[in-house]
Order: sequence, then structure tokens, then C-alpha cells
Amino acid sequence: MNELAIKDLLYKLADDQLILGHRNSEWTGFGPILEEDIAFSSMAQDKIGHSLAFYTLLHELGEADPDTVAFTRNANRFHNSQLVELPNGEYDFSLIRHFLYDNAEIIRFEMLSASRYEPIAKVATKLKGEVKYHVLHANTWIKNLGSSTEEAILRLQAALNEAMPYALGMFEPSAYEQELISEGVYGGEEAVKAEWLQRITAVLEKTALQLPDLDSITPKVGGRKGTHTEHLQPLLDEMAEVFKIDPTAEW
Amino acid sequence: MYLQSLDPRVTRLHLPEGDMPPMEAKPALDQFETYEAFHQKKEGAAHTYVGPVHAPNEEVAFLFAKEQYSRRFPCVGLWVVRTAHIQVTPYAGDSENIYDMLRIEAPAEPSAEAVPYEIFHLKKRGKAHTHAGRVLATSYQEALQEARKAFGDKGPIVNVWIVKSKDVLQSAEEDKDMWTTIPEKKYRDAIAYKVMDKITKFKEEQKNNIAP
Repeated sequence: MNELAIKDLLYKLADDQLILGHRNSEWTGFGPILEEDIAFSSMAQDKIGHSLAFYTLLHELGEADPDTVAFTRNANRFHNSQLVELPNGEYDFSLIRHFLYDNAEIIRFEMLSASRYEPIAKVATKLKGEVKYHVLHANTWIKNLGSSTEEAILRLQAALNEAMPYALGMFEPSAYEQELISEGVYGGEEAVKAEWLQRITAVLEKTALQLPDLDSITPKVGGRKGTHTEHLQPLLDEMAEVFKIDPTAEW
Repeated sequence: MYLQSLDPRVTRLHLPEGDMPPMEAKPALDQFETYEAFHQKKEGAAHTYVGPVHAPNEEVAFLFAKEQYSRRFPCVGLWVVRTAHIQVTPYAGDSENIYDMLRIEAPAEPSAEAVPYEIFHLKKRGKAHTHAGRVLATSYQEALQEARKAFGDKGPIVNVWIVKSKDVLQSAEEDKDMWTTIPEKKYRDAIAYKVMDKITKFKEEQKNNIAP
């Protein structure tokens, strides 16, 4: 199997989970209600745990150790989608981002648990259940709030319109798309996107929210190749602050 | 000037410096209603009461219960019930059996269609209510009567909860994998980070550095 293709896949999976995990952790102590504060914090731990699992696979393939990879790269070497690096905004935006992201992430995990590259299949099979819960959390709130008060619906719709170009950017194909598909490592971004559209549509249909017209949207791509918004580097600086002061610090 | 904090997230909020204006008083009774959660620790074990959550509805109660009561320990199943849907018997003493002390009335509407009820027993004060089983009945009273016949003679039973099965939101069999990822999540316990040990060690080092 093409090692470069597998590394590319692992980096995008790990970086997405690390960056969104960090964003989720920014809700700790700031949630709109205590229960949601706990939920976002606990999903943050899950996601950072998933990134660690993927960085560990990369380390086994000869990349630097997980801490070095997570804490010492600059933004232009990160492969996450731009969607996950955007600031949390208000709760409505965080919730919509979480809904759009995790409904795609679960499809990746489902596909990868059947991957012919066994180390990825093992990790995906073991951790899939956590992502499944993240989807349940997101879908439950979208269904409830998306059909509740006028303010909730207006806010969520505005957040959905704002997030959608970035969400479509999650499916930016990699240079190795065809190889990964033909070798049975991964089903590829087009397949993930098609399934994702069905799943998010099924949830949105139970609400007063409208899926924006996707044909009129230009996806915000580039994240997978190291092009990021101005928001990623400050996030990385803050995340690595302790590591940069003392790389041996334990916490 | 904005409030500057050691926490960069606080600084970014651009809050005014100085005292914040007092918050508006909340209206009375604006809390969510309560739901009761039951967890299943391992395959085949009975569901056991773990505690309440406040939530706007059953679905959200399930989410909150999942976080609140199953994010740290092994779990394979979770039930939630609206508190108002639980019928409770009086309490007996610790060595007594409440079924022996109750005069259970004959069913009011014996013609009504029998539906399933879930029965929970408290064996000892201070312990948790545990699922004893399911009975078919036409009313809560009849359910209690049926429960006495089915499992009422098994030692001391201090208290009984009776719930219609349709009022219990149960996690699906195929959703067990939401919990069966990493069974012990010690990283979710503050104690696992040994923060006090680290602070003590740091203080010791500081002391040694200052010493002549």
C-alpha cells in the first residue's frame, strides 16, 4: 500500500479531531447550561483521544511522536478542514458546526472500520461508538432547537448558512483519492459527501431549518493542503503554550 | 479597557473592567422538569438507579444522563423515565417487606387492556432501586399485585417503583458501542491528573532553589 497516501489520510483525520477537540474544550466553563458545558468538554476529550490514536499510527510509520506532531507544526503544515478551526462563535454556530462535522466523521469511521489497512480499521472500530454518541448529541439538539422558538430557528439557520461553505470544504479530495479507493483503504470523499448529505437532510427535514442551495455555494477548500484561515495559527499558539515553555511538563 | 484574565478565553470576551451589573432575577420555577436515570453496568446485570437529571424532554434527558452518569465508568445500557411517571409505594423498615404491609386494592378497571410495567425494588435504605422485572397489568395497582406474585417474596424490600414500560426510554441494543470503547475513563477524573502531587513537587523545587 502507498504509505504516502495512508499518511495523508491519517493526518487529515487526526488534525480535524485535534483542532475541533481543542475548539470544543474552549466551551469548558462557558457552556450555556452546565450539562452542555460537560457534554462539549467530554466530546473534546474523546476527539483529542482520537487524534492521539491516529498520530500514534503515524508515529509507527516513522513520523515524529504525537506531542511533537501536535504541538510544533505551524498552521501551513496542518491538514484539517477550515470548518474545524473557525472560532466557536455563539452556541448556535458551535452546535451547527458540530452537527455538520460529526455527521461526516461518523461516515469516515464507519468506512474506516472496514478498511483493508488493518491498523486504521482497528482504531476506527474501537472508537466509532464515541463518534456515534457525538452524532446523537448533535442531532438531538438540532431536532429540538431547530423546531422550537423563532429566535432559535433564526440563529441556527444563520449559522447553517455561514458554516455550509466550510462544511463542503471537508470533502476536498486528496492527491491519493483513487489509490485509497482502489486499494480498499478508504471510500473516498465523494462517497462520504453523498452519504453525509442524505443524513443531514434527514435530520433537517424534521426541523424548520432549510438546507442552503448547495449549487450556489463555493466550498472553502485548501485546508487539506495547508491553506488556512487567520484563526488557526492563534489556536495553535495557545494550544502549544505550555509545551513551548516546558516540553517535559506533564499535565 | 477590557477585563484582562490569565484565561485568554475570558480576555477575548472583551468584558468591561470592574464590577459587572447584577444579573436580572430569574423567574421562579423556570427549571426543566426532572427525569430519573438507570444504568446497566454490564451485560445481563439489572438496570440500577443512578440519579436524576433536569431536562426539557425525554430525548434530551437521555443525553444528559449519558454524560452525567456514564461518562466515567463501564456501562452497557441506560434508561430514563420522567419522574412524574414513577409511582412510589410507602417505605418499609430495613428488614421488612413492603409487599406484606400493603393492602393492594383490586384493579379498578379489570376490563382495560393489560400493558407492560417495569418494577424496581429498593432492598435496603441507602442503596439504589434495581430493576426486578416486568409484569403485565391494567393499572399501577394491579401491576403492584402482579409484582408481589412474581418477585415479592425475595427477602426484605423497602420500597417499590412502578413505571409503565412505554414511559421508559431505553438505549437501543445496537447503540451499546457508545459505551464499549474504552471502559475505564480515568482521564475524566480530576484525581487521575495528580494535580496536588505536582503542585507539592513544584513548591519543593522552588524552596530548594531559594535556599542558600
